[in-house]
Amino acid sequence: MRRFAALAAAWLALFTGQAGAQPLPDAQEHEVKAAFLYKFPAFVEWPSRPAPEVPFVIAVMGAPQVAETLRGLAEGRRHNGRAIEIREPVDSQGVNGAHMVFVGAAVAARLPGLARALAGAPTLIVSESAGGLDQGSMINFVISDARVRFDVAVDNADARGLRISSRLLAVARNVRGGRP
Amino acid sequence: MRRLPALIGGSVRRKTMGVVLAVAFVTLLVNALVLTVYEVRTYREARLVEARAQAEILGRAAASALAFNDQKEANAALATLKARADVVAAALYGPDGRVFASYAPHGTFTGDVVRASRDIVEGGQRLGSVEVVTRSGLRERILAFAGILVAVMAVALGAALLLSAWLQRVLTQPILDIDAAARSVIERRDYSVRARRTTDDEIGVLADAFNRMLGEVEASHGELRDADRRKDEFLATLAHELRNPLAPVRNALYLMRVAPPDDPSAIAARAMIERQVGQMVRLIDDLIDVSRITTGKLALRRERVEVGAVARSAIEAVEPAMRARQLDFQASLPSMPVYVSADPTRLAQVYLNLLNNTCKFTEPGGRVRFELALEDGMLVGRVRDNGIGVPTQQLAAIFQMFNQADRSLERTAGGLGVGLALARRLVELHGGTIEAHSEGEGRGAEFVVRIPALGAEPGEAAGALPPRRAGNGRRRILLVDDNADYVDSLADVLRADGNEVRVAHDGKSGLDAARSFRPEFAFLDIGMPGMNGFELARRMREEAATREAILVAITGFSQPADRVRGREAGFDRYLIKPVEIEAVKEILGA
Repeated sequence: MRRFAALAAAWLALFTGQAGAQPLPDAQEHEVKAAFLYKFPAFVEWPSRPAPEVPFVIAVMGAPQVAETLRGLAEGRRHNGRAIEIREPVDSQGVNGAHMVFVGAAVAARLPGLARALAGAPTLIVSESAGGLDQGSMINFVISDARVRFDVAVDNADARGLRISSRLLAVARNVRGGRP
Repeated sequence: MRRLPALIGGSVRRKTMGVVLAVAFVTLLVNALVLTVYEVRTYREARLVEARAQAEILGRAAASALAFNDQKEANAALATLKARADVVAAALYGPDGRVFASYAPHGTFTGDVVRASRDIVEGGQRLGSVEVVTRSGLRERILAFAGILVAVMAVALGAALLLSAWLQRVLTQPILDIDAAARSVIERRDYSVRARRTTDDEIGVLADAFNRMLGEVEASHGELRDADRRKDEFLATLAHELRNPLAPVRNALYLMRVAPPDDPSAIAARAMIERQVGQMVRLIDDLIDVSRITTGKLALRRERVEVGAVARSAIEAVEPAMRARQLDFQASLPSMPVYVSADPTRLAQVYLNLLNNTCKFTEPGGRVRFELALEDGMLVGRVRDNGIGVPTQQLAAIFQMFNQADRSLERTAGGLGVGLALARRLVELHGGTIEAHSEGEGRGAEFVVRIPALGAEPGEAAGALPPRRAGNGRRRILLVDDNADYVDSLADVLRADGNEVRVAHDGKSGLDAARSFRPEFAFLDIGMPGMNGFELARRMREEAATREAILVAITGFSQPADRVRGREAGFDRYLIKPVEIEAVKEILGA
């Protein structure tokens, strides 16, 4: 029941922004962020394309609610034909091999170390803490005008060989190191 | 299609024009309709494809805005549609179909539109859908199209009208030309007019046929005029020829009134009256014959005749005239009897006619030859003279009614110019031909008459009877005589000899008996009331069943002329009463 409610709320969150662009009262922040996380991969190109049997791994650290919502969204669905796997690792070891990592605010202090540990690896790092981009993430959630938005660091992405679609950049609040 | 509808009935002119216009109109209309339908469909199709493409592009551009609830960005994407003037509305929808952003630069739009919507899918996720509504402009397109088609149709129909006007002229002008020619012929009675042939088609054929017909009319008109002229001349000549003898007759009558009856001059006068009246009678007889011929009332009484007798009667009749003119006249007849189916009087008339002509047209001291011979189953009679002859170009014309070969000649020779025409008609009625030959003026002439001859009776020439029937002495014999006592007793005698004998007591029953009995020998009494022996013999000779019998005449007349008559009637033998039985048996047994 809770799951269902969360699912319904998440779907509702997918099209918030009627004429007045007011967030739906019962769309929680973690639900919106989970929905965004679920959609980010569609607008990002990884350098190499693994075989279809290799699942698309999303690691979520320090945000159990986001993880749970993500699991609900990803259930039975595929990304580019690949199964989606949600992990909740407790240390940086568990992050290896993930295609996308979400570093929750609760473990924001681990971000720099994680970024260093994943240096060079084509992993999309998403954070939700202030200065996250400076600490090595590519996308950082912010709350702006009572809405969930995000900033993008293109240079960080470039460093890992990740290409972020200009369409994603278009909807970002701020873009750092953008290509001309 | 029996009758064209009243719309394009009427004259050929209207028909041709109507047909051309109808065909053009139908073609154009069908063409226009088909093209319009096709155009409408393809246009709509094209507009739809365009709209879909537009939606696709828009969808991709707005995907992220939709994904990340960025309304500002969504509106910005929709705003790019401003560049497309034909886009009247667009909207972005979330996955549940609710509107996320919309675009309607001119408010609501009433008019033909094309809607296209696409789902927005990224990375396998359906993010929502986009709809683009564009002005289809279909109505304007159709109107423009229709306008063009109408203009084209008008121009095409105009051209068709001109074409059909030209065509009908091509068709009807030659017809009207022929009509004009016909009218001119009728009004002016000018038969030398001809229609102009202007085309090589069926109407040209008609013109040719029309001209040929006019040629015929002209020719027959000419012939009629000639015939009319000849008739007028004939009447003039007739009056003259009838008048001629009357003057001397009047003088003679006057003389007879004043002179005593046995005065030589009175006697001479009576003789002259006889001659002249005879001449007039002959003239009028000719006229009657002519009239009978032209009205088709001239009938022949054909019988089986021996030509010698016919020839002799003609020769006898002409001899005085030949002598009077001091002509060397000789005749030669066939040595064996030749039979023809002819009217003896008329046949004699033909020969007499030719002989009289030679008399007229041969100088005194000239020579005339009359020959009759059997050649190839035809009886050929030739009358040759060394007189004034006939110019070659007139050899055919002299047989024409009322034609007198040379006007100057005619004055001296007299006559109405009907003799040869009459002779030809009579010969034709006998199934024969008559020809004239001459090497020219002054070179004499020859007239040849050919008539089909009948097969000769076998053994006739020598008077021999057919060979006795092989086998028994039993003969089929028919006896016809109105003297019952005589003929019955003769029959008994013949039966006693083993013959089969039938007896009849008059001509009619004799003929019936002959038909059914088919006798080998028939002894026929000549002098019977009703059908006499001659008639009976003729009838028997005419019919196939009784033709082959040996006919013997039994009669009391013994003149040679009677024998001739008997021969002519078809008898093989002639017995004089009282008949001796030996004579009969001799005939049977020979």
